Amino acid sequence: MSETFADIPMIDARERVTGAIPMTIDQAMPGMAHVKVVRSPVPHGLIRSIETSEAARMPGVRAVLTGASLAELGVDPYYGGLRNDQPVLAIDKVRHEGEAVALVVADTEAQAEEAAGWIDVDFEELPFVTDAREAMTPEAPPIHDEWPDNDCGTWRLRHGDIETGWALADRVYEAEYTSPPASHVPMEPHVALARFEGDVLEVWTAAQAPYMVHTALKKTFGLPDERLRIKTFNLGGGYGAKGGVKIEPLVACAALAAGCPVRLVLTRPEVFNTLGKHAAHIALRTGVKTDGTIVARRVRAVFNAGAYAVSSPLGAGQAMTRASGPYRIPHVWIDSTARYTNTVPTGPFRGAMTSQLCWAYEQQMDDIAHDLGIDPIEIRRRNLLSDGDEFITGEKMHDVHFDELLDDVTEAIWSRGPADPAPAGRARGRGVAVMIKSTLTPSRSEARLRLDDDGMLTAFCATVEMGQGAGTTLMQMTAAYTGVPIERITIPLPDTFQAPFDTTTASSRATFSMGAAIKDAARKLKDELAGLAEEHLTTTAGELRFEGGTVFRAAAPERAVSYADLLREAELPALEVEGVFQSEGGMATLDPETGQGQASVHWHEGAVAVEIEVDLQTGKIEVLNCHGACYAGRVISPTRVRQQNEGNIIFGLGQALFEELVYDSGQLVNPNLSDYMIPSILDIPKRLTSSAVESLEPDPDVHGVGEMTIPCIAPAIGNALFAATGVRIHDLPMTPERVLRALRAREEAS
Amino acid sequence: MTDRMPALLNINGEKVETEISNSDFLLETLRDLGLTSVRGTCGIGICGTCTVLVDGRAISSCITLTALHEGREIVTSEGLVGPNGALDEVQERFVENNAFQCSYCIPAMVLMVRAYLDGTEDPTVEGAREALGGNLCRCGTYPQVLEALEALIPEDPV
Ligand code: FES
Ligand code: FES
Repeated sequence: MSETFADIPMIDARERVTGAIPMTIDQAMPGMAHVKVVRSPVPHGLIRSIETSEAARMPGVRAVLTGASLAELGVDPYYGGLRNDQPVLAIDKVRHEGEAVALVVADTEAQAEEAAGWIDVDFEELPFVTDAREAMTPEAPPIHDEWPDNDCGTWRLRHGDIETGWALADRVYEAEYTSPPASHVPMEPHVALARFEGDVLEVWTAAQAPYMVHTALKKTFGLPDERLRIKTFNLGGGYGAKGGVKIEPLVACAALAAGCPVRLVLTRPEVFNTLGKHAAHIALRTGVKTDGTIVARRVRAVFNAGAYAVSSPLGAGQAMTRASGPYRIPHVWIDSTARYTNTVPTGPFRGAMTSQLCWAYEQQMDDIAHDLGIDPIEIRRRNLLSDGDEFITGEKMHDVHFDELLDDVTEAIWSRGPADPAPAGRARGRGVAVMIKSTLTPSRSEARLRLDDDGMLTAFCATVEMGQGAGTTLMQMTAAYTGVPIERITIPLPDTFQAPFDTTTASSRATFSMGAAIKDAARKLKDELAGLAEEHLTTTAGELRFEGGTVFRAAAPERAVSYADLLREAELPALEVEGVFQSEGGMATLDPETGQGQASVHWHEGAVAVEIEVDLQTGKIEVLNCHGACYAGRVISPTRVRQQNEGNIIFGLGQALFEELVYDSGQLVNPNLSDYMIPSILDIPKRLTSSAVESLEPDPDVHGVGEMTIPCIAPAIGNALFAATGVRIHDLPMTPERVLRALRAREEAS
Repeated sequence: MTDRMPALLNINGEKVETEISNSDFLLETLRDLGLTSVRGTCGIGICGTCTVLVDGRAISSCITLTALHEGREIVTSEGLVGPNGALDEVQERFVENNAFQCSYCIPAMVLMVRAYLDGTEDPTVEGAREALGGNLCRCGTYPQVLEALEALIPEDPV
């Protein structure tokens, strides 16, 4: 039986609007002191000495820590998850400007800041590199001794036989595309508090993955599970910036050194210095038949990992599986690599390791269509993957709906007839883009349900609410799967002392995987309730139903008995069950030579079409109409799916049109919101709509919808710009200056 | 260290006695007093998440010193909620239109719209949208905010 879901608003809507919802930044621990971090002014250098004695004598100072003194604390100074290459505080050398070198703990923030100013670090500057392709060359300075060629993860995929592919092709197209580094800009900065309570280390943090923080701190401090407690609150935005472990080891070490609870809130420039989006260079070579069928594709992708690995060793591989797009291509050759540079570390970013590639393959698709005289929508139709097709990893595709997505977005934009003529001095055009993205595989979610004898149900899970509405959506799923009315359900904020393991709230996986874990737990709960209910259910006719907090046979609803009564009769104060979701396969199981295997448990699908107007005098692009669509499998809340699809488009407009982190002499020159702008309400498309395609199957997988439209927005605009003016931009963002230069260059050439 | 001195502030219609120093910014003073709907993001007057009303005008509390606001009427989002918990109509329309995601930026937007409505004779949706030009939302909740504005400011059919 398939459950029904109502489109209910978020349960804490009122508190969200008044500002009463609890966030980490609002928290305090009694007796807490404050941490201030001293950061490196140089992009690459050896630490000759750090003078801390002045700072230590300043008023209110409780502790001063450096990389060297971490050893005296008896902690493991390196963290990072995949490679553990990141020191809590720089040890012997710094690898990017803004890296944490020392910290001060003092009674007040002002005292900590004052004292931090008295710490003197003497550096021996080293040659630095900020570009990933330069970092691959033999002349590049080595950033980590143990990783030659600054290699932070290299993957290859060989599908079919590329030479056969080129031989089959009537024409071959080649081009290069770039994306600059960018920043997530969550409005709530990174913030964490830590204390040692008895022998338990407690950390409260604005993080997307409480259990990644848990795993990391276990290693830092060598603590068993029962001595480590991680709590999270409502996040003021994540988008990948707060995935994995960030400032938590530093804050916990500060608490240990100071012997009191501590708190650290990053300043906005520090947030910019903590994590960014991978800059990328994509070289694309595609062989096609004259009818537009793609027969061969080679992709060379180089990603800028920044100074530390974070998720890049895996990310480069995920990028590889997404590099050739949502198309059926028999002969594919992909090299994907991430390289260390002396820039801010890069990692998960809404739609990333997909956006950079979609920007390339979807623009080239239109160039091919144009050259062959085929309609851009038609050429996609001829190549898009369908159910049963073989993907470039060799896996058989299922749940594929690209055709419907393409229909949705093109109908929304094209069906309104030809574009209105543009006013004088302006040009109008339409463009479309489609994308495919893997989800994090393997991954695991566990949920624990506790039904009390008053009929109240508590669902413990470590999924983090960051505005996507996971709290409410999971509550709806819990209600539907257990038959307990939603008003009797609570989902407490994540706390690793209560909530079992969950990989992370990222990769658009929460609704899908935590939803499945809750479903599994609910099944067990209902089995137990059915056992307890046996003597009440005098008939065996009709199916067993669990509704309104009662259980009954469909044939005898009048004999319904409440869960609360069943527990009380059995003298059980509570019933507890645990459910699990675990996906298998994934990047680590692919053949390392060919990239063949099952890369993802299912594939994310999205599309966007736009109509734009370009001011030919200024080069400024305005998006008039935009429609985004995703495949959702099953929609739980249309409102929240819409907010994801449209919020993604707005977020992605920033990287499409103006966002870019700028480095000069190894220094990040715009780590603030006046020099790094994000979209305002005045920047959004005049008309913005979206849709979600659902499966017609009886019990489909719920697909995540967190980042399905963002990769498509930039190439859709790029294609519309080409349609409007005939100019093609290869480098993001499409700033007015860049567009104007391209328009001028074309004028001069003709 | 600057010396702390007593200050008498008028916040959400109540007299609040506290201690401030000359260099305290209004944002921190309000947050320290537990008014956590006022939130900092950029710290330089760009993003609007720290918006408060002072004598009815919306200002960025991150770049103004607390000492300058003694005796003035300061209103935060908490102050828009009536004594019996009734929401202000701007808040109501935001709730009804799901105009929030992570919601970090939302209380400030509500205040900005309130100030616009109170200070404008013939408010329009377009005018309110322009007033919100300096209230950034990274989640991209703008479409729902616009819907809230449309519900709030019924416009004559043209
Ligand atoms: S924090 Fe005050 S305007 Fe951004
Ligand atoms: S709702 Fe998240 S920043 Fe506006």
